[in-house]
Amino acid sequence: MNTLMYDTYTIFWRELKRYKKSRSGVLIRLIQPAIWIIVIGNTFSGTQPLIQSVGFQGEYIEFMAPGVIILTAIFTSIFGGVNTLWDRRYGFMNKALTSPISRSAIALGKMSAISLIAALQASLILGIALAIGVTFPNPIMIAPIMAIVILFSLGFSGISVMVAATAKSQETFWGVINFLGMPLFMLSPALFPLELLPDWLAAIAKLNPVTYTVLLVREMMTGISEGGIPIFLSLGIIFAFVLVMVGLASYVFTREVNKPF
Amino acid sequence: MLYSIETKSLTKSFGDVTAVNDISFSVENGEIFGFLGPNGAGKSTTIMILTTLLKPTSGKALISGFDVLTNAKQVRQNIGYVQQETTVDEYLTGRENLLLQAKLNHIPKNEINKRIDEILDLIELTEKQNESVVTYSGGMRKRLDIAGGLLHRPKVLFLDEPTVGLDIQTRRKIWEYIKKIHDEFEMTIFLTTHYMEEADQLCDRIGIIDDGKIQIIDTPENMKNAMGNEVISIILEGENRDSFLSQIQKIEFVNKINEDGSKLTLFASNGTEVIPKIFQISSELDIKITSISLTQPTLDDVFISYTGHEIRDDDSRFNRKREHAKMTRLRA
Repeated sequence: MNTLMYDTYTIFWRELKRYKKSRSGVLIRLIQPAIWIIVIGNTFSGTQPLIQSVGFQGEYIEFMAPGVIILTAIFTSIFGGVNTLWDRRYGFMNKALTSPISRSAIALGKMSAISLIAALQASLILGIALAIGVTFPNPIMIAPIMAIVILFSLGFSGISVMVAATAKSQETFWGVINFLGMPLFMLSPALFPLELLPDWLAAIAKLNPVTYTVLLVREMMTGISEGGIPIFLSLGIIFAFVLVMVGLASYVFTREVNKPF
Repeated sequence: MLYSIETKSLTKSFGDVTAVNDISFSVENGEIFGFLGPNGAGKSTTIMILTTLLKPTSGKALISGFDVLTNAKQVRQNIGYVQQETTVDEYLTGRENLLLQAKLNHIPKNEINKRIDEILDLIELTEKQNESVVTYSGGMRKRLDIAGGLLHRPKVLFLDEPTVGLDIQTRRKIWEYIKKIHDEFEMTIFLTTHYMEEADQLCDRIGIIDDGKIQIIDTPENMKNAMGNEVISIILEGENRDSFLSQIQKIEFVNKINEDGSKLTLFASNGTEVIPKIFQISSELDIKITSISLTQPTLDDVFISYTGHEIRDDDSRFNRKREHAKMTRLRA
């Protein structure tokens, strides 16, 4: 167990080192969510009455800012596994595979690094949101919000690592990831309340772990509860999602990297 | 006796292509063993089986007595593996790369810094240690890569084509480092190469592999001696080649003849007496000799005599099916 943690930390350390050295990447990855929050946030500001009609007292941009924070977390983490493909192509993977560390430690180290990076990116978007006037009734909530974002991103990094370990090419990886990422984001109350969705879409959205994360983070940020879903149910669903994804990802990763690339 | 590396009827097939075909050999402790063969001969596949990256289709492979299939973890604790491509992380500094390698291989915390300082000194990279690897030359990267493979003092170090793609000065420098680390740490080294000179310079014993099979294993010296002490190369024109061949075969001192298009290579133990006889036969048969030369045998000649073709990249016997299977495996 101790060895597993030590090995996981080794991989985690390496991934973070690489992230730190790629500063330009940090900024480039912020452009898209910044556009979302600035452009969509203002374009749709006219929908405020609609949102108020289902009980959200506040500006549209305050409604969607938590959604964009989750968007950042989703995309940073679901793209994060791509370097698994580079590692396999350029030999780092073989180096790790011929050392005494376990295969699951490689997967776990990658996932934990990706989720921390995703949370860092998300916190930068939170900063942008605050800068353009989104208010925050209870600043102490930042810590638990970040904890939720890290946890949630861990689940999505699991999806990413799993797809990257299974895909043998960049093309397959990006194809699958784009197929998964956008619908998971859109089928959630990130941009519009569940109550305004047609019944069948709302039903699908309720199967989506993103929904519960958005609702939870929005409640923590604005103090307004919506959708009638208790906090503990949301938390429970997020935990279950993360546990399943991390377990599944370690299993799939171990199985796939043992096959020749 | 316990060998560092031992294989018994090791076989690896990809679909209907057999990359490694029933090979058995053993490498003694402290030996530098060279695996020599053209591209696609099965060298890398063998190394990947020995380092637990590929599972053999059949047969057995033991590293320091541990089975690569059933005791993979113990095998990994006992080996260092330096891959053909340089795999150092460009974003990290030289020292950080070694630190990563130390952690991957569970070097005790209080030993790590001492070992890294030592090895940096050995490969003469102490001054560049805190610079990003991006600023390193190809030779420096390779040195760093090799250093990473032996930082944890493995019993067996695998070097897959350690000098491929390097210029000749750098190559010689890498050979010096390999000899140095071998003397210093007394480890077994298993290296693959397609450079004859490299095998000749470094290895105690050489195995020649072609088409997935081991053709011969011996010391470089014995291999060259077995060929006879002289090589005669002849290029000729004319009909009657078959009778020419059968007649020169009967000349005393001629040990072996290889035929490659219009070029004949004779291995003889007394070349100066053989040459006049060759001219005599050629004039009798009205065959024109366009060139003839007498040289000392090299491992190149040994290689040709065992595989029937020269070791080179654009192998004329390029096997489309085998290459296809290999590319599918690599790229998939």
